[in-house]
Amino acid sequence: MSFRDISALGLLLGLGVLLITVLVHFPFSGSNLTGVGSSINALAAKEIGTANIVTSVLLAYRGLDTLGELMILFVAATAAGMVLAQSPEEDALSLQKLNSFPAAGFVLRVATHVLFPFLLLLGAYIIIHGHLTPGGGFQGGAILAAAFFIPVLTTPAGPFAHQTSSLVEGLAGSSFIIIGLLALFGQGSFLAPLGSPGVVGELFSAGSVPLLSAAIGIKVGSELAGLLARFIQA
Amino acid sequence: MMGPILLIILPFLGAFLLPIIYRHYNQAGYWAAPVVLVISLVICIGLWHGVNIVGPQSLVMGGVSAPLGIVFYVDALSILFVLVLLVGSLILWLGAWHRRIKEEMLLLLMVGGGSGLVLSGDLFNIYVFFEIVAVASYGLSASRRGDPCGYAASLRFLLLGSLGSAFILLGIAIIYALTGTLNLSHLAMLAPQALHGMAGLSAFALMLIGFAVKAELFPVNTWVAEVYAHAPVRISALLAGIVSKLAIIVVLRLLLLLYAHEQAYMLLLCIGVAGLITGELAAFYAKDLRRMLAYSSIGQLSVIAIAFSIPGTLGVVSGLALALHHALVKTGLFMLTEKWKGSISSLQGMAHSAKWPSVLLIIFALSLIGVPPLPGFWAKFLLFKAGFSAGGGYSYAMLLILLSIIIEAAYFFRVIHLLYQTPAASSTPLIPRNKELQPMLVISGLLLLVMLTIDPIYHHLSKIATQVVDVQAYIDHTLPAWKSTH
Repeated sequence: MSFRDISALGLLLGLGVLLITVLVHFPFSGSNLTGVGSSINALAAKEIGTANIVTSVLLAYRGLDTLGELMILFVAATAAGMVLAQSPEEDALSLQKLNSFPAAGFVLRVATHVLFPFLLLLGAYIIIHGHLTPGGGFQGGAILAAAFFIPVLTTPAGPFAHQTSSLVEGLAGSSFIIIGLLALFGQGSFLAPLGSPGVVGELFSAGSVPLLSAAIGIKVGSELAGLLARFIQA
Repeated sequence: MMGPILLIILPFLGAFLLPIIYRHYNQAGYWAAPVVLVISLVICIGLWHGVNIVGPQSLVMGGVSAPLGIVFYVDALSILFVLVLLVGSLILWLGAWHRRIKEEMLLLLMVGGGSGLVLSGDLFNIYVFFEIVAVASYGLSASRRGDPCGYAASLRFLLLGSLGSAFILLGIAIIYALTGTLNLSHLAMLAPQALHGMAGLSAFALMLIGFAVKAELFPVNTWVAEVYAHAPVRISALLAGIVSKLAIIVVLRLLLLLYAHEQAYMLLLCIGVAGLITGELAAFYAKDLRRMLAYSSIGQLSVIAIAFSIPGTLGVVSGLALALHHALVKTGLFMLTEKWKGSISSLQGMAHSAKWPSVLLIIFALSLIGVPPLPGFWAKFLLFKAGFSAGGGYSYAMLLILLSIIIEAAYFFRVIHLLYQTPAASSTPLIPRNKELQPMLVISGLLLLVMLTIDPIYHHLSKIATQVVDVQAYIDHTLPAWKSTH
């Protein structure tokens, strides 16, 4: 056994002991809970106006965390874009390679065109109902990304508008921050809920929460589509 | 007061808009990122003054007060490290300037995330900002194109870092399950009953492992040498000098607020001692200049961890002094290796052709070893004062640190000795251009400034330390009278 193996074994043993300690000493009864969660459950519908409590936590009580998650996705996409970015010669080479891929058959290509509006509709629906039903910006955004990415899969040599996707991405991301800043200047607190909660369960309710959902959805959609297209071309 | 949130939002907004600005106004894009940093710096200095006059402040996010919402705590410590981050990234931006949009975006995101990391008063929020900093640093460490070793190193960094992040998340989940809250001051109130059992301490150990990946502590610092040897030198300087300090400041906060418990202090001490021994020995045997600096940075960060593991104000003061000193000096040393990468032996006789860089290297090295009257001496002096007065196991740790200073002196003097030998016949002089020396000159200027103002700086640091140690003040500022409605 080499020194490397022994130290790896020691590390694993230590981790095992740590995790077993947690399991042994963990009070599974939950008697120590402080009631933060139940308070949010009781207050969310009244204060924020969302029927979906999860969304009220994501976009109102802990909106800054969601902005952070958005930034993590953005950092990851930017870093991947940087690593995968190519010089013009490499670009020409990979374009040649892509051109040698035959486009998918007639059925797949037509199905893509047929699917496209439905995917857009489903994505938009999930995004704008984020404050009412399970779902919201991240999930709907992933569906929007699929709508734009499936055509790239069926015709790899087709164009993908990287410029437009990064423009949309930047603008949608900044609009999330700008809504937050409006709250900062209007209400004195970053990402404070704007507008009145309205009637719980209606489409137009919960103040600025649906706007934030929409910003997240558009941002995530353009980002994921751009990233996936980048993977195919690299 | 909206300054603290702007410190985070402005870099983020800048990163979103940078590609758009570059596309339409190339010249404006060239200046956009530095302008954002300078504005942040101005805001930060304003906050620094404010905090010095009126004391710590809290800032509620999302219009919901703690513990339901997220709260920021702005005290002298957090502002100090935001200042270090901003000044550091501006200094690293001096001199060579590349029009690489993605790297600028990543750097801005790292600055925004790092500011949030030290300002936030919410455990999960800290994790989110830590992730931003972490992912940005994986990307930046792979930003030199066409270097397979660099890609491999940053991939390993990414794997280890993701594992660490998973541990942090697990630790946070355990804490949430034990207490039902994520707010640091709420947790600080509950800590003595809820978190000082075995399950709570295991959560601390898990989080410590996670933050230790960035803080270069034992045993999750295996990525350090490889990444610093292959990443662009500015990135190595940023990661070793500044980002590692942000991670260790978070550890300090958790330790003081949630785990002011003997076993937690002992855990940090043990990790520090193990890192010190392995780091300094590895530096002694290193053949490559950048790897030597990387291992020495592991050793130095372990010393900072040891300092923070000493309970009470003295330990915190010495740890802060060591952290600030290391942030200056290691950044400078890494910047010097822009041209001097590779084996140490290739430096033979370099002092004859590159006078100024050699002089700078000697100043930085002497300060790092702790030769009076350079600032490094005072930082180590404070540490010994704190350590020996704490007694017990700390005295042995201090003896070990004394020994490590001898090892440190041995390997730095070996390099300096090589610099002043007669040059080898076949060598080509690798002289850094004058423009590349600008950041180092700024740093050595700062170092001399610190040397002349040791006394006021010491008083300021002890003021910061008394503020940081005061847990009750933290709770009073961030947690208003709160009644749960369940």
